[in-house]
Amino acid sequence: MVRRYLRLLTVQLKASGLQALQYRADFFTDGFTSLCWVFTALAPLFVVYGSRPEVEGWSFGEALLVVGWFTLLQGILEGAINPSLTGVVEHIRKGTLDFVLLKPADAQFLVSTQRFLPWRAFNVLTGLGLFLYAFMLLGRGPSPLGLLTSVLLLGTSTLLLYSLWILTVSAAFFVVRVDNLTYLFTSIFDFARWPSSVFKGVAKGALTLVFTYVIPLALMTTFPAEAMLGRLPAQSLVGAVVGSAVFAWVARRVWIRSIGHYTSASS
Amino acid sequence: MISVHGLRKHYKVHKRPPGLKAALRSLFHRTYTSVKAVDGISFDIRPGERVGFLGPNGAGKTTTLKVLSGLLHPSEGEVRVDGHVPRLREEAFLKKIMLVMGQKQQLLWDLPPAETFELNRAIYDVPTLQYKQTLDELVGLLEIGDLIGKPTRQLSLGERMKCELAAALIHRPRVLFLDEPTIGLDVSMQATMRTFIKDYNEKYGATLILTSHYMDDVAALCPRVIVIDKGLLSYDGSLEALVQRVRPEKRVVLRLSEQVDASRLEPLGKLVTHEAGTAVLQVKQDAVNATISRALSGLPVTDLTVENAPLEEVMSELFAENKARRLQAAESVTA
Repeated sequence: MVRRYLRLLTVQLKASGLQALQYRADFFTDGFTSLCWVFTALAPLFVVYGSRPEVEGWSFGEALLVVGWFTLLQGILEGAINPSLTGVVEHIRKGTLDFVLLKPADAQFLVSTQRFLPWRAFNVLTGLGLFLYAFMLLGRGPSPLGLLTSVLLLGTSTLLLYSLWILTVSAAFFVVRVDNLTYLFTSIFDFARWPSSVFKGVAKGALTLVFTYVIPLALMTTFPAEAMLGRLPAQSLVGAVVGSAVFAWVARRVWIRSIGHYTSASS
Repeated sequence: MISVHGLRKHYKVHKRPPGLKAALRSLFHRTYTSVKAVDGISFDIRPGERVGFLGPNGAGKTTTLKVLSGLLHPSEGEVRVDGHVPRLREEAFLKKIMLVMGQKQQLLWDLPPAETFELNRAIYDVPTLQYKQTLDELVGLLEIGDLIGKPTRQLSLGERMKCELAAALIHRPRVLFLDEPTIGLDVSMQATMRTFIKDYNEKYGATLILTSHYMDDVAALCPRVIVIDKGLLSYDGSLEALVQRVRPEKRVVLRLSEQVDASRLEPLGKLVTHEAGTAVLQVKQDAVNATISRALSGLPVTDLTVENAPLEEVMSELFAENKARRLQAAESVTA
């Protein structure tokens, strides 16, 4: 079973790689766009830290770690999650999801692995570069335990991001056009470039609560950055693991129910 | 192989009158109507049978095929395909069937069809040897050897459809649902597809249900037809018997060496067409022999054939009959 799905993943990855190679120009434009996005992500940080040494207990170097995580996850989102799942919306609208549902393999797996944009790996590399730069500024490196924890949190963050996308895309079974929802999601994800505590002052801390429990952006970027710095409380780590598992479970249930609502498109 | 009993599929559809006012009102108060796509049909199909699904647009043909392939859940009724309940979408079931849709495609647009074949091989878990054998056979029969390496987007519609069919058959399905597989294809490509489908059915004993607006497809492939109209089954039997029932008259086609006045033809039977040295007469079956001898003795006939009425005409007459019956029933209810 696992071997079969691993083989399937390899074939899907190969097809995505080949598709990416079909359009050479895209490779260069994608690389260039990624680079531009990194600078856009950094610009506000330079503006804010230009006039003060720290914000809500986060120095420039520490906040840079959060941006590093944001950039890395953006690479994962745009390279591995977004292309496949926005493809689902198109499938539902055109009725070609029929072909996915006719296949003797898990439909969620098939739609989630149908398209990868390998060039977006550039963002992942940039994220890693930002980590290096941040630790150079901080004048120290991460502890081995901190590094290990942050790797674990990379898994939970990816799972969270993926689950949130599945939930968003599931809405397409009911409302067909979810373009606005996907834009909204990407805009909200933009908040993840800031340490979650900077929102403490907004609406009496309500925003921090929302970003921790409802749309858990804090779990995605602030927690792993704190883990790297060796100051993530153990209960937060447990919370991230349990939280992401719960989100994945809910997303799976919602997906299965949504498929039942699929009405196909007329021929 | 396939058994359908009392199948109903009803959809809830939001309906509103045109205009801005109605649109605004529908934001807060929606009215729904129930559309009866399939309204209680039953039939059984034996293994290896080739059955044509006929019916006008919106009759419920595609809906029935989608229920049979597990894509849509029936509102009522019992459906089984080779012992499986389709809506459960069990792996064993999905490995046995395939739905080919002429208007939708599964081939990866930017990549050559060979990549889709490879993907399907992995998904259907086809053993390497069997995959190679099947692929060689499909490539040979459909003559797509030089196509499967070209990006799909560069193929013509006919070429794409042949590759689409190959992609659908990589796992050698035992039940094949074909929904308008020849739509938009030219006459020779339609003929190639028909021959191929028939060969596949005969070689693997696959059960086949076909919907098509091209009556030639149905005539060439399906000894049995099921007619669905407005979600109801209006005929199930042999194509020959259907033609006999709806249009028992035969068509006598006369080719004439010189122009003949219509008044000389009309006494022989109902004149259907008369142009450019060809006359088509519609005559009762028991009068065919007499008509032929009268035509041969009294007219400059160079060639003569006896045919059934074209299937298109038979079908439109059947649908018109059904419509008239429905209207009559509705009137008797209101009266």
